[in-house]
Amino acid sequence: MSAGRLVVWGALAAILAALWWLPSWAPYFYIFVATEVLILGLFAGGFNLVFGYTGMLSLGHAAFFGFGAYISAMLLLHLQTPLILALLAATAGGGLLALLIGFFCVRLTEVYFTMLTLAFGMMVFSIAQQWRSVTNGSDGITGFTVGDFGIGLDLVLGNPAVFYQVTLVVVVLAAALLYLITISPFGLILRAMGENPERVAFTGIPVRRYRLYSFAISGTFSGLAGGLFAPFTRVASPDMVHWAQSAEPVLMSILGGSTTFLGPFVGSAIFVLLETWITSFTDRWMLFLGIVLALMVMYLRRGLFGTAVDWLRQRRTRSS
Amino acid sequence: MTKLRAKPVLASVLGLGLAAAAPAQAQEPIEIGAIYILSGVVSTYGEFAQNGANLAVEEINENGGVLGRPLEITFEDSQLQAQTAIQAMRKLVYQDQVDVLMGLDSSGVATGVVPVVPELQTPFIITHAATPDATGKLCNEWTYRISVNINQNVKAAAIMADESGAQSWTTVGPDYAFGHQSWEFFQKYLSELNPEATFSGSPSFPSLGTEDFTPFINTVIDAQPDGVFLSIWGGDLVNFTRQATDLGFFEQDFEVIMSLGAATEVLHALGDQMPTGITVGTRYWYDGPENAVNDAFVKAYREAYGKVPSYNAQNAYAAVYAYKNAIEKAGSVDKAAIRKALSGMTFQAPMDEVHFRKGDNQAVVGPVYGVTAENPDEEIRKLEPMRIFDGASVTPPVSETGCKLGG
Amino acid sequence: MQTFVAALLNSLDLGILLFVIAVGLNIIFGVLNVINFAHGALYMLGAYCAYTAIGLLGLPFWLALVAAPLVVAAVAVVLERLMLHRIYDRSITDSLLLTFALLLIIDESVRWIWGTSIHIVDPPVGLRGTFTVFGAQHPVYSLFVMAMGVLVGVGLWLFFTRTRAGKVMRAAASDRKMSRLVGINVPLVFTGVFALGAGIAGLGGVVAAPMRAIGPAMGANIIVESFIVVVIGGLGSFPGAFLGALILGAIHGFGSRFLPDLNLVLPFIGMAVVLLLKPHGLMGRPAT
Repeated sequence: MSAGRLVVWGALAAILAALWWLPSWAPYFYIFVATEVLILGLFAGGFNLVFGYTGMLSLGHAAFFGFGAYISAMLLLHLQTPLILALLAATAGGGLLALLIGFFCVRLTEVYFTMLTLAFGMMVFSIAQQWRSVTNGSDGITGFTVGDFGIGLDLVLGNPAVFYQVTLVVVVLAAALLYLITISPFGLILRAMGENPERVAFTGIPVRRYRLYSFAISGTFSGLAGGLFAPFTRVASPDMVHWAQSAEPVLMSILGGSTTFLGPFVGSAIFVLLETWITSFTDRWMLFLGIVLALMVMYLRRGLFGTAVDWLRQRRTRSS
Repeated sequence: MTKLRAKPVLASVLGLGLAAAAPAQAQEPIEIGAIYILSGVVSTYGEFAQNGANLAVEEINENGGVLGRPLEITFEDSQLQAQTAIQAMRKLVYQDQVDVLMGLDSSGVATGVVPVVPELQTPFIITHAATPDATGKLCNEWTYRISVNINQNVKAAAIMADESGAQSWTTVGPDYAFGHQSWEFFQKYLSELNPEATFSGSPSFPSLGTEDFTPFINTVIDAQPDGVFLSIWGGDLVNFTRQATDLGFFEQDFEVIMSLGAATEVLHALGDQMPTGITVGTRYWYDGPENAVNDAFVKAYREAYGKVPSYNAQNAYAAVYAYKNAIEKAGSVDKAAIRKALSGMTFQAPMDEVHFRKGDNQAVVGPVYGVTAENPDEEIRKLEPMRIFDGASVTPPVSETGCKLGG
Repeated sequence: MQTFVAALLNSLDLGILLFVIAVGLNIIFGVLNVINFAHGALYMLGAYCAYTAIGLLGLPFWLALVAAPLVVAAVAVVLERLMLHRIYDRSITDSLLLTFALLLIIDESVRWIWGTSIHIVDPPVGLRGTFTVFGAQHPVYSLFVMAMGVLVGVGLWLFFTRTRAGKVMRAAASDRKMSRLVGINVPLVFTGVFALGAGIAGLGGVVAAPMRAIGPAMGANIIVESFIVVVIGGLGSFPGAFLGALILGAIHGFGSRFLPDLNLVLPFIGMAVVLLLKPHGLMGRPAT
């Protein structure tokens, strides 16, 4: 392994260690902030499989995130299932819904694809909002607690630090799996499709089917994120399915950079931390977000992390 | 509207219990954390609450603070979402180290927030959200409500409805806990008063934030009930009222009761477009109570903000004073002591003498209902005749609320 | 009969108002290849300007009808020169993202300047009151809205087909390079197009103001409604926008009246069905 790679792996290990022990060195409130960063980062990372890699802008991904949240919340509320079961169900739910919706959406491309994802996303929102007998409408699923984790692990999930560490493990494992997908031959094909779909089609690869796989896998990770989000916030509500929620992973991918794997995760950290800090001083947070986003789209299109990585790579090629 | 903060930035970022080593502890401010809707469709209510709370904090600080310490208040935006409100609460309690929490505009948000409050081990005074559940089936020893809730407001509406003689009723309410529960309890209370009363099988529940109420207005006109019970509020009520006027709604024969029609946010927006002769309700009416505290409050509010105080402003103002009262009663700011002090506490607010009932921590207060009439002296309608409902007459017994606090 | 007529009138004034707002979106997309996410915010800005002119400054409605769109167009020019023109050569995705940022900025700025209170604007004196047809009572102002919408539609059609400025814009839309070669100042034309689209959105805001309470969330719903209209009608198609708007108006007017439990989901089902059967919309042509 080259020196450069050792450095990268070392840095990663150091960061993970720091994250694991975060409850001991960070102020208490930041345990909640970090949990939120991880969950939304997973959502954004899953989303980016479709956006950054496969080159399609989906504005309806909150459907899978929110669906996962509802599944998890309902299982916890009505059956008090162990958390791991709720998470698995949420993951499966997100994936299945994405398979269903994706089946229709991948028939279209470009702006039409985007509009159709928006339509389906808002359809799911409308159902969550108006099907009061099942989803409790606009008030959402509330009043549930998190019990055991399951599989024999004796964890006090009611303790935010413990819940945070569980979230960290789940997200890191999921992210690792997602990473393996992106560097697999399948992932490389997706990336090729993002750059030039026609050329890929000429090689005989069924582009539309691969888009569907990408969409479904992305939905699976989004569902898992939603499944974690519900016990974290203690709520599953239609807002989690609304297009404004779908916009968040897009923003995070832009902030961090959609061309690298870690970009969306970094973007999530930037977004959540900025929101936490700025709302302490003013309630004009949306204005700041708008200005930052505008600047990023105009000048730093590859995101903060993406640009940093580009810059580092340039330095290395220049010096070698 | 930014919050009043004197603390330097660094201290708030570190946010840990470094205060233990700080000298001049007597001057250390007492921190109040407040969560309201500060953005979006009903943000004007949040702003009025800020006005009321800020006025109370300023007055108290000018008079030497509480136990010699000044009050400081931090506002967070709930964005009308439970998950945002819960995160805001965690931030206020863990990062900003507040000693007490107050707020919440939305009943829907409250059903998500109230179960989480005991984990934060901080007293929480609700000043707006009216769902009965907050002091009913979700009640807990840390949550108090100083404001009129749905049971109290709607019981009075049912009394007004019964007296009107109208037999068949329908409703238009916002499609969330508040709208549905208002209708549920209206039916219950009116049936108790008048077993012959009938209720529509297809009531209307447009989403909060609907801009065009025409289809729902026409549905009611077509149904020709004897009476319509409207629990729509805020900007929705402003839209509804104007569109209804255009469609001839108020010229029909049915009785109209608006359970929150006398909110000054709505009356100010409508001006003389609020029809006269409509029965409207509110949780506090500036011109209602006859006591010195109210006179002083209305005067001070007018001077500070140029308008008469709305119920949201009064509720927030009263909550701050309730907190002051609790601190003085307990002799300390310790959260558990405050909680015990609030339980069963009685104190004088502008609206009335407020008593937090031990069984469910709900203030035993009542709404004000009246009929809108022209008002040459102000820019908003006046209520004439006006009727203040005594809390005891409209508050259900604890056994009916579903609260199992015991004691 | 009364029920049907009432629902029909409601659908028409809703639909035509949606047309006025959505047609600007179509123009901007047709020429600039930009999906203007901030369109609803510009509509809201127009409504607030109308409130300032009529409610605060006491100007007559007719003056506000002219002044507010001009103000919104001016703001649009500033935004275009500062930010939007940099991304014309980029993908549509980037335009969506940048205009979304503009939406956040405009929304917050409106709240900052005008506050959170709810305001109302009265229709002009000549257009107040109601009329009754087949037993259904309806505001007179609603007829004005319908007339305005038709006027805007006809006016724009004449503009694009009969005037030089309109033809220049269409030229710049179909072939930027060629237009430059024949001496058309393409950047100026693009600024003009964005200002025109924004101005019409602002006009929509003024026209809507007497029908709706003016408040901070006005822009939020209308943008998705506009997207539905242009998708159903066809991106870039003029008559398509009219048709799409009428269809959506009917879905709202009849759907909310007769199927209120489905009133949120119906428009999106409509949008999805059109996208799946005719992605370019009922009257659209493929985006170049």
